[in-house]
Amino acid sequence: MPSDTVAVIGGGPAGLRAAQTIAELGHRVVLIEQHHELGGRPIQENYAGITPHGEPAEPLLRRMAELVTTNPLAEVRLSTEVIGVRGEPGDFTLTLESVAGTETLDVGAAVLATGFQHFDPGRETQMYGYYEFPDVIALQDLEGMLKEHKVVRPSNGETPKKLCFVQCVGSRDRHIGNEYCSKVCCGVASKEAIEVRQLLPDCQVYIFYIDMRMYGYWESQIYWPAQEKHHVQYVKGIITEVLPKGDKLIVRGEDTTMGRPMELAMDMVVLSVGMEPSAGTRKMSRLFGVAQNKYGFVRAASSPLDPVSTSRDGIYACGAALGPADLEDAVSSGSNAATKAISFIRTRNAVAEGRDAVVTG
Amino acid sequence: MTQSSAIYKVPDVAGHTDVSYEEKARLFAEVKSDVRFSDYLYGCYECGICVAACPSARFYDFSPRRIAQAAAREDVELIYQQMQEDIWECSQCFSCLRCPRGNNPGGIITIMREVSINNGLNSAKEALGGYSRIIYKIMSTGTQVSPDMLQPDAFPDWGPETGDVSNNLDLWRRALPSDTLHTTSTGWDVSERTLVELYLIWFHTGALSMIKDVDSGLHAILQEIMEERLEDEGIEL
Repeated sequence: MPSDTVAVIGGGPAGLRAAQTIAELGHRVVLIEQHHELGGRPIQENYAGITPHGEPAEPLLRRMAELVTTNPLAEVRLSTEVIGVRGEPGDFTLTLESVAGTETLDVGAAVLATGFQHFDPGRETQMYGYYEFPDVIALQDLEGMLKEHKVVRPSNGETPKKLCFVQCVGSRDRHIGNEYCSKVCCGVASKEAIEVRQLLPDCQVYIFYIDMRMYGYWESQIYWPAQEKHHVQYVKGIITEVLPKGDKLIVRGEDTTMGRPMELAMDMVVLSVGMEPSAGTRKMSRLFGVAQNKYGFVRAASSPLDPVSTSRDGIYACGAALGPADLEDAVSSGSNAATKAISFIRTRNAVAEGRDAVVTG
Repeated sequence: MTQSSAIYKVPDVAGHTDVSYEEKARLFAEVKSDVRFSDYLYGCYECGICVAACPSARFYDFSPRRIAQAAAREDVELIYQQMQEDIWECSQCFSCLRCPRGNNPGGIITIMREVSINNGLNSAKEALGGYSRIIYKIMSTGTQVSPDMLQPDAFPDWGPETGDVSNNLDLWRRALPSDTLHTTSTGWDVSERTLVELYLIWFHTGALSMIKDVDSGLHAILQEIMEERLEDEGIEL
């Protein structure tokens, strides 16, 4: 009899919610995480507050992980990677590797929750000087500072008086090849802008953007308060380059709605980097034999109405492994992939036992 | 480049003499400190719905969006420039109130105009210059438009009867039922007491000091006209 166990690859928000759902629905789940702790990007990259409401990320993610680690049906393998996949849908054998050596794991289905990585703003088409100027940082760098409640210029340790965000770095760009919107950066940058204004009331904060994409409730949760209560300056027009001038950074762009070029001296520039498929997402896609889209994310074979099934039966994907996703999207698709994986196994069992394929439990 | 402005060009102050950055900042602070300001400006989408609704924007290089934006960005250079020009191109119709964020660009302009007048900006003097005669007439007679302004050939589009009326003006006016309308050099009879009350209203609301800032000569004449009347009423200001 093939295994009823489901493997979840990746212990970020989507993978945690997938594992939790599988265990709560009464199936054995093995959560495999390559790092030494659970929580994914929010933990690895020291996110300060959750978008949209800004509540501290770490305790929320730790609590989410506990729901998995305390469930007797869930087994967590940290510092472990999948290095081989054999078998066929409904009866896979994974080869796992850790410091303890290699072992095999039989599973009926698998959920890929391998996530994204932040776009590297040091790429050659980018003229923002991320690796050149210490005061040019990225969203996740600022998250780390905000988590410590200490936002200072990396170059001299001084408190910034002028700070700007540059949106769409690594997103919506044909030259880079990322022709998609990364969905969350408008909200994350605005949330961070609010946090900077709260921490440093004397620091002017600008956001240079192409379009503000504050869908749904983010409008009144983040965008309006940022403008109206915290006086964050939104300027439609993207920065072409960052240049040094004395100990300041000059950002050059056009104030498009005012119809005039602008050059402003900044103390800090924050690049709102987008999402790219993580190395794990690329690697696991190949290993599990599921199709990727042209950007390297797992291709949802029956999107939009079934956003978690891949090109291969018995293998599901969720969260940012499928493309840019906010936390709500990630955990929703985590549960979705979990139920798809379980119904796949139950249908397999029903067919094997000669019952109707529709199984209730 | 100025201290906090995003402008990267020489400030255009509509041909008026430029003033220091500090003076512009002071004027904006006065605009911003007005109690109405926070109700007139929330945040700007820069969507342009106010411009689409604005009649003045169809005839002038005028944009209520730019007014709201400049105020939201606290761009004191641009705000000063607007106080020297743009704000006088607004007809104060408040069509711009259809803003989805609840902004009131026309209201911001109301405040900017008041600050311009109270500070005697050149643009205010120019824009209000034409009103000196009207203010004088109201203060001295209590009415603005009078029947004798109706000259036979002044308003040809009013039709052929206009000439006949103006030629026999006194007769036509006497035909009106109310005694107070039997006048030709004023719209109606206004008592001395009413003129004094009007003057006091202007004095206490600050309208007189606005007039003084914009046209000190006119203000002196008004004072002279009223001096004796105030004395008759036993009023000292």
